Amino acid sequence: MWFFVIGDLFIFGVYFVSYLWFRSADHALFLDSQRHLNQDIGVVNTVILLTSSLFVALGTAAARGGNARHALRLFGFALACGAAFPVLKAFEWIPEIAAGYRPGTNLFFMYYYVLAGMHLCHVLLGLMILGFVMRELRQSRAPRIRFVETGATYWHMVDLLWLVLFALLYLMR
Amino acid sequence: MAFLFRNPLVAVWALLTASTILSWALSRDGGVTPHADIAVTAGVLLIAAVKSQLVIRYFMEVRHAPAWLRRVMNGWLALLFALLAGIYITSL
Repeated sequence: MWFFVIGDLFIFGVYFVSYLWFRSADHALFLDSQRHLNQDIGVVNTVILLTSSLFVALGTAAARGGNARHALRLFGFALACGAAFPVLKAFEWIPEIAAGYRPGTNLFFMYYYVLAGMHLCHVLLGLMILGFVMRELRQSRAPRIRFVETGATYWHMVDLLWLVLFALLYLMR
Repeated sequence: MAFLFRNPLVAVWALLTASTILSWALSRDGGVTPHADIAVTAGVLLIAAVKSQLVIRYFMEVRHAPAWLRRVMNGWLALLFALLAGIYITSL
């Protein structure tokens, strides 16, 4: 998993740098477009992912300590928090698309939808992985701790990528 | 509640959440008129870099990882934020 995570981080890194490259060529366009984003949903989604990551970290520690039932409950909280992310994304995107801010609107919105969309695919895959971890914790008498740790690492990467995306798309001026 | 914060993971989460809200407040204050604002951007990028490092060290547990993994992750973070800051600064 670590090789996959590192590969993904470098691929996203290239996208982040290219975003800043084009942004730097036209500050006015990007700044003006940024004003139409819903920063409030952005910050709530950030806190949701951070909280979800905390539950995953606590759940991993519980699984390592041999307390599979407690770990299962913590991963359940993580999954519930994580599942709120795509729902809020829909509440964010639908009014924006309805208001005419679409991927084809300009370069900022192209990056905004493509980067956040790729990240959203990672969130959905991460939610499935959390589901597999929960199945392992529920069904197995001796859950494979490596399996739990691998799933946790992926979920933290999803959180990490969002922290950078949030700063670049929503916050920087 | 106090016992919760004795857990380092919960303390890290509290720091991450507080710094998220700080960077949000920073950006809102500076974001009324659409002009490039180096002070806001520097603060936002610095906070994002610190948050990323906290997630890598404590949530991904890279502080207990083999040296090669620590180097790769720290290298990725340093290279990414150096490039982001460099591109931004030279474009002003």
